[in-house]
Amino acid sequence: MAQRHKRLTYSLIVLVGFLTVCPVLMLILGSLSEGLTAFGTFTVKKYIAAYTDPDLFLVLFQTVVFVTGAASLATVLALFLAYISTRTDMPFRFLFKIIPVIPMMIPHILFSISWVMLLNPSNGILNLLIRQLFSLDHSIFNIYTLPGMIMVEGLLDLPIAYLIIAPAMSSFDVALEESSHVCGSDSFRTLFKITLPVLRPAILAAFILCMIRCLASFAVPSAIGMPGRIYVLATHLYRMVSTGFAADYGKAAAVGVSVLVSSIILIYVYRYFTSSSEKFVTISGRGYKPTVIKLKKAKIPIFIILLTLSFVLIILPVLVLIYISLVPYSMVPSAKAFASMSLKNWITVLKDPISLLSLKNSLFLGVFGATLGIALSTFVAYVIVKVRTKSAGILETLSFLSFSFPGIVIGVGFMWFFVRTPLYATIWALLIGYIATYLPYGIRPLTSAFIQIHSHLEESSLVSGASYLKTFRRIVIPLLTPGIVSGWILMATMFFRELTLSVILSRPGSEVLAVQILRFSEDGQWGKLSALGIIMIVVSTMLVSLVNFIGSKLRPME
Amino acid sequence: MEIQVKGLRKHFTSEGKIIKALDDVNLTIPANTIFTLLGPSGCGKTTLLRCIVGLETPDAGEISIGNEVVWSSAKNIYIPTEKRKLGMVFQTYAIWPHMNVFDNVAYPLQSQKVPKDEIRERVAKTLSFVQLKGFEKRPATKLSGGQQQRVALARALVAEPKVILFDEPLSNLDAKLREETRKELKSFLSKLQITAVYVTHDRVEALALSDTIAVMKEGQIIETGDPKKIYFNAESRFVADFIGRANLVSAVVIEQTESNTIVQSSLGKLKCKKADFPNGEEVTLCLRPEFIHPRKGTAEGTAANIIPGKIETLVFVGDAYETEIRCADMLLLARLEPEMDLESGDQVFFEVKPNQCLIVAK
Repeated sequence: MAQRHKRLTYSLIVLVGFLTVCPVLMLILGSLSEGLTAFGTFTVKKYIAAYTDPDLFLVLFQTVVFVTGAASLATVLALFLAYISTRTDMPFRFLFKIIPVIPMMIPHILFSISWVMLLNPSNGILNLLIRQLFSLDHSIFNIYTLPGMIMVEGLLDLPIAYLIIAPAMSSFDVALEESSHVCGSDSFRTLFKITLPVLRPAILAAFILCMIRCLASFAVPSAIGMPGRIYVLATHLYRMVSTGFAADYGKAAAVGVSVLVSSIILIYVYRYFTSSSEKFVTISGRGYKPTVIKLKKAKIPIFIILLTLSFVLIILPVLVLIYISLVPYSMVPSAKAFASMSLKNWITVLKDPISLLSLKNSLFLGVFGATLGIALSTFVAYVIVKVRTKSAGILETLSFLSFSFPGIVIGVGFMWFFVRTPLYATIWALLIGYIATYLPYGIRPLTSAFIQIHSHLEESSLVSGASYLKTFRRIVIPLLTPGIVSGWILMATMFFRELTLSVILSRPGSEVLAVQILRFSEDGQWGKLSALGIIMIVVSTMLVSLVNFIGSKLRPME
Repeated sequence: MEIQVKGLRKHFTSEGKIIKALDDVNLTIPANTIFTLLGPSGCGKTTLLRCIVGLETPDAGEISIGNEVVWSSAKNIYIPTEKRKLGMVFQTYAIWPHMNVFDNVAYPLQSQKVPKDEIRERVAKTLSFVQLKGFEKRPATKLSGGQQQRVALARALVAEPKVILFDEPLSNLDAKLREETRKELKSFLSKLQITAVYVTHDRVEALALSDTIAVMKEGQIIETGDPKKIYFNAESRFVADFIGRANLVSAVVIEQTESNTIVQSSLGKLKCKKADFPNGEEVTLCLRPEFIHPRKGTAEGTAANIIPGKIETLVFVGDAYETEIRCADMLLLARLEPEMDLESGDQVFFEVKPNQCLIVAK
């Protein structure tokens, strides 16, 4: 038994180690090399070139503003929504628990582009509408600015901040607040003197995690920032490898190293806050009875604000996509617009061989990649939870390392590797890259599933006379199914919409959906883009429902 | 079936230190008795049980169940758990949450490839034995703690094993339910021809349930015997102290008479139960609180085994008063009837009967 475990642990360490360490190592080696073809002759020329670039200072400044701005917006919004949904007498509160996580369901690149279609200065629909209404000769809003980027990125990161803050807020001991009231403080003072300070670790953790995601974000910087010539580190990197006459992967790697380092530092700060959060947020075992704050007169205005926000978050982006996919060019909704509606864009897209290829590739990567990724995650999670030797600890550290990897930087690292293999420019390069980058998202739900399977459950099966194999089949797998299903769905949707790694690794023949959408956006082909975007959302929703259905059939529980 | 354990050794290393979970354990568990392994947590009792069932592999020694050697380091024999044909009730019950009661109980029979009709019959029979008749379709997650415990018992019994093992099966129940279940378990087990090995740290449970108790400490079996022997006639100070509340007093043996041993202690000269110690040996005197019955006043005359004292504290605990009596330099614990007329500060005296004065090694 122990021998079998040892062999499994070591082979997983080799495999996961390759997936996570290889791109980092290649990134560092690449940054010290002359160029993709001159690998191995070491030089610091690329570092000098990268860090004496006159543009770099502005890029850094804009990155800092973008990252902190968007992370703050997401955290404040999440805090507000979490408080409303868990602690107040707001009508339809359950709705406000769903709304903050909705942006997760729309691919980031589509969400960003629908905002471009609404608020771009030349033909953004909202701009056109306002111009028409007030007979203005210029547009009021311009999405192609830093505030525009911050707003959209903030909305995109809202779910992650909400999912950290809301559980902490609904689980803390109400006695802390009650004793504040007893001491003579009103609700308002209690909120700022007790509730928020106690929640501080959760709030900071949400903020840091949002910063990591903003730093790695590529959808907003590429779809909104690049047309406005506002570059952040991610797009600065992308510019080096994708535009101009000579792609400079060495210089990109040199910049990438510092992006990676800052991301890893942020992850450590995040882990510090999440590990100390237990000290602050006291979860009592007693039945939780929240004291509901009465909003009184503020109820109606806040309700309207929330309703507007949810309209903006869910309905508007999808509506815009549907509308644009049907009209020949961006125009204000009017009788004329509705009269000129046709399925022309849809037909063009469905006849476009590259769009169809990208759909096929993304579907393959989503289904096959997630299956492979979950199979690997199951073994890794098993070793982490059940074997618990020192080498299992190494595996755990290794497998969570890629949590901090910004996709575009890791893409550059993988580029240095794949170019030396026959995998270069194939779909397999994307597959390996995806699994390496998103492995923690598969391992997380499976480790929690394994933790729930008490070892006695397996042991009592052995005592009952069942073999190891039978125990695995009849006890472990059925109890693991919910974890496998949710992990698979998470991975498949992430792979299906993957953009940041793909923009680097995808080549003619290995196009994927998100990259194809970005290409349409760069060419301003909004109609085709919207049609393809809706296909993307529909296919991914169908996939998720199908797997959910199969998962519920496999589970005889309840 | 009889279980024989010979020279069993199992060491763990934890944070660089070696922990002797089992330190050369020799044990014979007679067939068709309820045998309890009792000891404080970390004494190795659960490890011993898990070695018998095969979930833990010892470092050295031999285990045989009935006539079959199931594990032996010297003969290089290892029969895996699933082939040992035992029943076991786990501390957490380990009821599989994705199955209903029937599937849980039928599982051991399905593993033995018993025909379906027979499975249905035997599951029904076992469920009615543990008083869960008609619970077949109930999902495992919809059971109370006591019901889960009985499902676990049914699952352990359904294949009619010759040996059943219990790993602290009552420790997850609340106090009242624990007492009821303990009685039930005793009556279930006494109806069956089965060898039961029971692990617990609860002395009352051990005393109430067992035919034989083995007290363990630091990976070794200190003493084995029936409940009365362990309670009244313990050989070691550790066992006397662990099995019940005791006043332990240092003493020296001064004389052996035909039927008694006389000791000198700070409580005076006492006539005790006969114990095999030489004169001059330093020993420990063990007085159970329930054998001390103080009366108000001072003792008349100088009769043997009469000890004077003063009530120091008096605490009402419902079914009794617990009191501390100051006797010479000692504070002795005693239990008094709830209806008595003593108060703090009263001068009292009490007599201890020689056969209630236990002498154990120092």
